[in-house]
Amino acid sequence: MNERMNATSVLARRRIYETFISPGFYIAMSLGLVLAYLLVSGFVRAVDSSGLAFGLNPLYDLIGRSLEGAFGRTLVEKLFAEGPFVFALYIGFLPMLLYLAVSSVFRFGLEKKIGALELLAYGPADGTAGFLAAFLKDLLLTVIYLAVLLVFFAVTAALNNLLLGPTFFFTLVILLFVAAAVYSYGVFASTLTDNSASAVALFLGLMVFFLIILMGSFTIVSGYVRNLSTVFAWVVKWISPLFYWNLAMQAVEIQGWLLYAVSLVVLLVLGAVVLAASHFILKARGVRP
Amino acid sequence: MIQTRELTKQYGRFTAVDGVNLNIAAGEIYGFLGPNGAGKTSTIMMLLGVVKPTRGEISLFGERYSPGRLDLRRRIGVVPEKHPLGMWTWMTAAEYLQTFADLFGLKNAGPRIDHLLERVGLAEVRNKRFSEFSRGMLQKLSIVRALLHDPDILFLDEPISGLDPFGVKQIRDLILEENRDGRTIFISSHILSEMEKICHRVAIIFGGRLMAEDAMKSLLSTLAKDREIHVDLESIPEGLTERIKGLPFVLEATQTENKLLVKVPKSGDYRKELSKHLIDQNLVPLSIQEKSLSLEEAFVTITQENIDLFARIGGKA
Repeated sequence: MNERMNATSVLARRRIYETFISPGFYIAMSLGLVLAYLLVSGFVRAVDSSGLAFGLNPLYDLIGRSLEGAFGRTLVEKLFAEGPFVFALYIGFLPMLLYLAVSSVFRFGLEKKIGALELLAYGPADGTAGFLAAFLKDLLLTVIYLAVLLVFFAVTAALNNLLLGPTFFFTLVILLFVAAAVYSYGVFASTLTDNSASAVALFLGLMVFFLIILMGSFTIVSGYVRNLSTVFAWVVKWISPLFYWNLAMQAVEIQGWLLYAVSLVVLLVLGAVVLAASHFILKARGVRP
Repeated sequence: MIQTRELTKQYGRFTAVDGVNLNIAAGEIYGFLGPNGAGKTSTIMMLLGVVKPTRGEISLFGERYSPGRLDLRRRIGVVPEKHPLGMWTWMTAAEYLQTFADLFGLKNAGPRIDHLLERVGLAEVRNKRFSEFSRGMLQKLSIVRALLHDPDILFLDEPISGLDPFGVKQIRDLILEENRDGRTIFISSHILSEMEKICHRVAIIFGGRLMAEDAMKSLLSTLAKDREIHVDLESIPEGLTERIKGLPFVLEATQTENKLLVKVPKSGDYRKELSKHLIDQNLVPLSIQEKSLSLEEAFVTITQENIDLFARIGGKA
């Protein structure tokens, strides 16, 4: 156990360093911050004396209509109840979440294919140490990025004479837990497949599937999605990080702090269960493709 | 040091390794030979804990071994055939070795890294990105990585393939030096002439089964059907070959330029009788020596016999 912990820590440190010296992290960060900035500045132009009017700004007009179409008006109203920050936080966070998750999934598949994981397995490391290192790296970089977003939004709010509401802070915490569960699904997809392309395809497929199920639980875009979600919702929602994200957001809205805490704990448990499943899959399949 | 009992690996209905029993003693250089697809890689992967056996047992250092035994794995050093460059191209040789030293939990590994790099002649390039290294340099770096944690056993898979003669000699000397220091060496290679030079014992696997496992000399002597004596003469008079063929202990005699090739039964040493016969004919042998079976010939004999056997019983080799 000590050897695996040491190997995990060494590999995680190397991977963090590697991330910092490669451009991908900075590109994802810049993209996230630019999108977040555009949303905050657009919001200022979409507000008049009667409050938020989506039609006043072309960007917000597009956003408002898209979100209403997919999730219904109620969710849109809730999303912008405290100003632009909760929505801008989601949009600003998404590029980094995708970059970290997809790059780790891709890399794990590549390591398996070219024998790098096998080389580590000859020493006092194993496949589990390899994926735990990737998971820890993603989690730590997520914390760093969320801190960057917090500072960025605090400054942007101050410059635009706006305030960060409590929902923003609760959402910030939820995102960390949701990200942990999403990363664990990335690991899961990597252990189930033999190469990078199929691992990334499986991971993205899973996430899209969870998203469709979630959309099905809101007012629906089509009969097909509704039917699909009816059949699968009861089974799938329990293993979907997005279901617990929605539950936690509902808890914030009704100020149900117990439900909020339970949602976060369940997200942690879900991540741990998925990682444990990945460990056993890797043990059974080995580190060779 | 390494023992396997009835080691078996099946992939679906295909049996890659079939009841292999190996016994590798401490301090020996053990060669593991077999043609492609013979079950060599599967056996090695099981010994290294990367692939789980379907049946059978492996014991390392007297303890039962399974892929989860990371404590036993740290007593093994492995030099794989291919060096997975793709992941660490940004690292220098020293950074790469430091990463593995950290993985093994080695404190203050710097002096050891420097010493080992010095030993293989890579000290000058320690701060160079190893993605720029040649095949020979990578092979040496791989050996240094495998030796960092001072393992009891060193596994080498095709350690000299693709190297120039100078590189081959350097690696061979390094292996022999490590063995002299008491390290057990397990080598798998296709370059049989090199294996013959360095291995104390060899095992030959074919069709997933262990066909032979013995000390090098005894294996070659067992497999040799007869002995071949080479005699160098200043000139060969007409009719000599025929007269030699008439000797009671000679099975066959041929000549090439000034060399006489005489086959005799492997049961005895007939050099003295042959020499006496030549001197009696007023001929002076310049040299007389017995040519023993090479490992390559032994390997071909064993594998060919099995291919013939498979063909006779209608199986596939």
